[in-house]
Amino acid sequence: MHDCPPPKQALEAWLKAYGTVRGGNYGHLLLEQQQEIDGDLIAALRPYFESAHLDAREYFHRKIGISLHPDGAAAPAIAYPNCLPSKALRGLFGEVMAGLVTEAYQEDFVGKHAWRVPIFLFREHGDVEKYLWALRFDPERVREIYGRHGTDFVGIALSGGGEVIRVIAGEAKWRKALTESAVAVLLHGKKVRNPDTNELEHNGKGIWFEMNRDTVIPHGLRQLQFLLEQRDREGHAATIVSIDRAVLQLGPQPARTDLVVICGNGAAKREKSETVVGWEEMPADYKAGRDLQIVEVILEDGDSLIDDLYALLWSDG
Amino acid sequence: MAALDEERLVLAEQIRQALAIENALTRPQARAYVRCLQKTWQVPTIGWGERDSANQLEDARRLLHAAHIFSTIEGGESLRAIDCYRRTGEILEWLSRAEDGVRAIVPIELLAAAAYQLGGLPAMASGLLDQIESEHEGVRLYSAFLRADFDRVVQRSAGFWRDNPGLTSADAENAIFAAMRGEDETPGFLWTMTIELVRSLGLIADSVRRGDDERLAPAMAKLRAMDDLAHRLFSHDAALVIGLMRQVADRYVAASIYIPLRQLAVLRPERTDRLLRYARDQFSRNRGILWTSQLHGVDRLLRESSFALCTPTGSGKTLVANLALIKELLLRAPGDRLGPLALYIVPSRALAGEVEAKLSSELRGDVIVTGLYGGADWGITDAWLTSEEPVVLIATVEKADALLRYLGKLLIARLSLLIIDEAHQIVPEASEATAVSFSDHSNRSLRLENLVSRILAQRPEVTRIALTAVAGGASGPVARWIEGRAEAQAVGVRYRSTRQVIGLLETAPGSSGQILLDLMNGKPLYLRGQENPVYLPLRFAPMPILPSRWRNSLNHFNSLSVLWTALHLAREDQRILISVAQEPEQTMRWFSEALALGAWDAIVEFERPEGFLGDRFDEARAACLDYCGADSFELFLLDRGIATSHGQMPQRLRRLMVEMIDRKVCPITVATATLTEGVNLPFDLIFLTSLKRRSWDPVKEEPIIAPFSTSEFRNLAGRAGRPGAARGIEGMTLVALPTRIATTASSTKPKAPGPVQQRQLREWAADYEDLTRRLLAEEQEVDAAESPLALLLTRIWRKANELLGVAPDAFMDWLERTVPGAVSGDAGTGANDPASRLADAMDELDSVLLTALAESERDDEAAITPARAEQQLRTLWARTFTAVAAVQEAWLEAAFIRRGSGIIQHIYPDAGERQRLYQYGFTPWVGRRFEAVAAQILALLAGAVDYGSLGAEGRIDLFETIGNLLEGDKGFGFRVRPTLGDQALLDQWNDVLGWWMNEPGAKAQDADSLRAWQRFVADNLEFRLGVAIGAVVAKAWSDGAPDAATTPTLADWKQTASLPWFGFWARELLRWGTHDPFVAFCLSQGLARTREAATARRPEFDAWLEENVDDPDGEDRIDPQLFQRWQASLPRRESPETPPELFNVNLTGTNGHRHRYAVIPIEDGDRTRWLDPAGFELAVSDGRKPEGWNPFRSDFELRTAARQAAVVRAFRPV
Repeated sequence: MHDCPPPKQALEAWLKAYGTVRGGNYGHLLLEQQQEIDGDLIAALRPYFESAHLDAREYFHRKIGISLHPDGAAAPAIAYPNCLPSKALRGLFGEVMAGLVTEAYQEDFVGKHAWRVPIFLFREHGDVEKYLWALRFDPERVREIYGRHGTDFVGIALSGGGEVIRVIAGEAKWRKALTESAVAVLLHGKKVRNPDTNELEHNGKGIWFEMNRDTVIPHGLRQLQFLLEQRDREGHAATIVSIDRAVLQLGPQPARTDLVVICGNGAAKREKSETVVGWEEMPADYKAGRDLQIVEVILEDGDSLIDDLYALLWSDG
Repeated sequence: MAALDEERLVLAEQIRQALAIENALTRPQARAYVRCLQKTWQVPTIGWGERDSANQLEDARRLLHAAHIFSTIEGGESLRAIDCYRRTGEILEWLSRAEDGVRAIVPIELLAAAAYQLGGLPAMASGLLDQIESEHEGVRLYSAFLRADFDRVVQRSAGFWRDNPGLTSADAENAIFAAMRGEDETPGFLWTMTIELVRSLGLIADSVRRGDDERLAPAMAKLRAMDDLAHRLFSHDAALVIGLMRQVADRYVAASIYIPLRQLAVLRPERTDRLLRYARDQFSRNRGILWTSQLHGVDRLLRESSFALCTPTGSGKTLVANLALIKELLLRAPGDRLGPLALYIVPSRALAGEVEAKLSSELRGDVIVTGLYGGADWGITDAWLTSEEPVVLIATVEKADALLRYLGKLLIARLSLLIIDEAHQIVPEASEATAVSFSDHSNRSLRLENLVSRILAQRPEVTRIALTAVAGGASGPVARWIEGRAEAQAVGVRYRSTRQVIGLLETAPGSSGQILLDLMNGKPLYLRGQENPVYLPLRFAPMPILPSRWRNSLNHFNSLSVLWTALHLAREDQRILISVAQEPEQTMRWFSEALALGAWDAIVEFERPEGFLGDRFDEARAACLDYCGADSFELFLLDRGIATSHGQMPQRLRRLMVEMIDRKVCPITVATATLTEGVNLPFDLIFLTSLKRRSWDPVKEEPIIAPFSTSEFRNLAGRAGRPGAARGIEGMTLVALPTRIATTASSTKPKAPGPVQQRQLREWAADYEDLTRRLLAEEQEVDAAESPLALLLTRIWRKANELLGVAPDAFMDWLERTVPGAVSGDAGTGANDPASRLADAMDELDSVLLTALAESERDDEAAITPARAEQQLRTLWARTFTAVAAVQEAWLEAAFIRRGSGIIQHIYPDAGERQRLYQYGFTPWVGRRFEAVAAQILALLAGAVDYGSLGAEGRIDLFETIGNLLEGDKGFGFRVRPTLGDQALLDQWNDVLGWWMNEPGAKAQDADSLRAWQRFVADNLEFRLGVAIGAVVAKAWSDGAPDAATTPTLADWKQTASLPWFGFWARELLRWGTHDPFVAFCLSQGLARTREAATARRPEFDAWLEENVDDPDGEDRIDPQLFQRWQASLPRRESPETPPELFNVNLTGTNGHRHRYAVIPIEDGDRTRWLDPAGFELAVSDGRKPEGWNPFRSDFELRTAARQAAVVRAFRPV
């Protein structure tokens, strides 16, 4: 279980927060790096990141430890998540950051709900289908075999009795440079040539598209429940039953807040406190009609932070 | 936690109640199913939008979640979870088959198949996946796994390793991880997840089918670990597929046939290897994973011996019977000289053939399996009679009864297992037809009851197993009967393994037909009066306008509409049975006439198949030509891909026709109900042209109209859409019903075609309404059933009271003392008047009683006393089905015993006569009349010492002389229906005899009268003449045998029976339709395909005879022992001695310390790489490759010892 509180002090020192809530249902939080990344910061982040990764790490190691060779060959000597390539680590970093800001900046979020992330899901959707369904490594494959992945991130808010009363779900993205065009691709999808106009246009399959068509109860909630059942059925009994109710659509349903966390290095031309998504009004392409929270985490040399941080996780055995 | 579990169950139950009640669809679900059918049939669909699909998908997800809750809290066997899984499977299947857009978003076929597996409906999983071929290798692999096609899983994973040779080293994953750290774009750890999934599935599939638990354990552990991790790292649907595969794998492991076989092996550990081989063989037949119904049966089999297994058709009852055979025949401690014997009772000769073929193929080498097809009661090959090996004897009730009379003591002594297939046939229908069948001595239920009760009374300790279908409330009573305990319950599960849809084919002149769907799995598909009926309009051209002569018969029009529809559907690869209630020759003629027209012939697409199937077709065609003639409808239709079958068809031809259907050579079949009695054939669709049979009551001079019984209809409908056999997932049974009259004649006279057809339309529609009403009513299970003896005794009482004025308090005395002859002077002559029918019903009861008493006397070798008789009959009564079927009035048992007592004291007081009557096998009153004729038949048989030297004419004259003795007596002799045609046939029966016995130059009959002739042959020559001769021969042999335990052998048969060989052959000749025993021998031994071909081999035998026997006489020419010696002298087709396949290998990926490794072959140029099923290369061989078209169906094993290593083939499928 993830039970490490967010290192609020270190965050406050590191990131300057600009939080707004407009119209009662649109929150925007800009977190702008205001202090250089150093060993102390990384040390302060480390427990949270280790806690976030612990569950997946345990199960990864358990799986890798089972040899199917008839002579029982030794298991690969690798450690999760450290073993992952840097691109994958950046994806994971974004997902942990989503949990971190959700837990740490509740007061700044729309609705001010007491969000918790009992277990982190790290879902590597895009690649899964490449291999799993086709049994081939084909970097050229463009078309998806099965075209729905759901959201990256899931957190919950509980009632006093431990029941889920609200869900926060959404996308967490890392981009090396948060240029206008990179952010546009995230939100509106890749650019493809329009055969009629011969112009390059966004294909419309970005974050807004996924969010608009997602169900109120995200599939991730069902997965979260599965992990709770597996790890601490007794301790989360009320939560588990309330998720049953939500998934089965029986009784009062938890409401949903949509979350978009965009992490990355600020674009070269970026001005201080400038945002990549407008904070004044709910983005026009978001049509799901729920509470929406945007978080922008603008870093300087975030790549080094990620590499150093992940090199440090469980480094002392 | 318990309280919260309770709350979770309440939530899940709400979903189950709302969405998943068995066989009851919600309205949206019914609509989804209808849309699926409409899409499948490519007809316009009901209104349906994306929202509808999304809602269905959402419901499926909710059901999966509810199933998860049930199985988490209640355990894997939770029935409520099973309900939810089944409905999930259905919803997703319907979306999938409707080619819904969600297929591109969610892997619904995989989810559906997994849900069906977890819902205990494996056939549905395969049925769905059969129709889906994904372009994606991963989806294909998972599909193979989810349909338990382990050979295919191994093959597909082998393909993966062949395409990815770099992944077959022991450290392949390490290498990927190492590369991954370096470059971002290389396939990374998610690729290793996929690789490991392929490793796990390949290893699970191979280990499960080999029964290799040691290798299975890490594979399952890995799959579980993958599942756990997938929930953390994969998208919900991908994780769901892996999670369901893991659950399905758990089920496979728990339901493997190796488990019960290992448990059984404890009984005789030295047979363990044989049992494991049997298990492996079952896997190669795709039967290694036991179905829920089989698990229940096997569980009972392991715990105790006798039970009734009650499951729907097609749920794998036969396998349970096979395991019972193994347990009782192979695993009991060896007894003295003779091996144990199992008697397997089947309802028809056709089924006997099917069961024999299956058992022979599975138990070959350990057990003698014999079906006794010929006319003789113990067959030409007598090896089984005296074998030390165990024997399975498959017989109809009639055959078993004859054997019991003839060889009873021997059989009973060896009998260790009694299996009754289709045991629900013990339940008679309470109808006038049943009552008449008692008087006709043709009631099957009573025969079955009598046979089994006698066996149980004589061998109460024998193990018995009844296999029974579900409907009609028979399961409880059958269980009580079989187990002999009042509280016995049938083992089984009540579900349908495939989906059955019942509806109408609506026909109308000038328009294409349409299908109206009514019931699905016994429940209405739409609400009558509230919703629109569900139609599938057929899209092909309307049937051409028929000549007015044809249109003037509505039945003619309707039948041809069915043919027209069937011909078009056959072009879409559907397999169709056109089931005819009666007079199949009429339908065959109509069909032949229509197909002779150009417009009809043009839509026939049938062509003789090539290769092996072509050879089989030729054999069927040759037999058809031989037995039916060149101008017959049967041959004409067969040449157009239409198989025919009816009860009077010669046995050999019937078997070949069944083969044409079973091997899917003929897409269309026209048959009466006898085709499908218990026999599994692959039909997608069944059409019925009528729901009732008409006959003529000559006494009352009015038609007798007998509607189809629901059990008959259910049996028929159960043959549609058999698991794995048919193209579609559902079997459809459609009753053809015109919506308009066919005639255009304008007369309004009552008997003119127009008014007659109007009346018929109303009647037929009412028949269908009545049937569906009865079917719906029967869905309610009851726990009582009609029983044969109760019906018979009640009938006798009612008629005695009604016709003779016997008062209630006088009935018992009357019953004890009244001989049938006192009730009617025509008793035993087949007379139809009420008094004679009563007398004959009494004679039927006497047969039951006398048989039991005479058997007791035979065994005791002394006349029975009244006190002992009463005791015996009480024991017998307690063993009858009647005693347990329902709460019975006490007078029934009292009447049964009083009549039995009357038999030995008043009716048949002479013990010697009782033995003779018992030997003859007729009912006693008929037998007494037969006795005078028997002496004459015996004299004729005894005098036929020169039969072998006679020409065809002389031989057939001999049969005619015997037949003349039977011609005039309807009691034991020839009997025909009271129609002019049949009467005329009786007058010229010697022509029929000559034709049937293949007399050269015999007058051939025309196509129209063929069936009438065949009927006469079946009823009177094969059956009645055969029975009469058989009775005389059996008695002659018994009279000569030193004691009742004597075993007949060919070597001493003549001496014991004091008869020439003709006595041995006579019945056999009538069965095969030949006067030459050599021809019968060749046909029975498969030495010739037709009578003509067998006749052509005669000179071969004669030449051999001249060489090997000095101065052979007539008896030598028909001596079966000489036939056998000749057969043994024939050159055998050399089966090349194949040396054990062995491949010398170099070890490349193992140190060999385990000594034995399961491996699979991967071709690699000139080399063969031998991989562990998890995909690790262990060894390589050069040169020779495994033989056969699919090496992945075999098991190979790498064996290492000291410095040597080789791969051997450890298992090869049959």
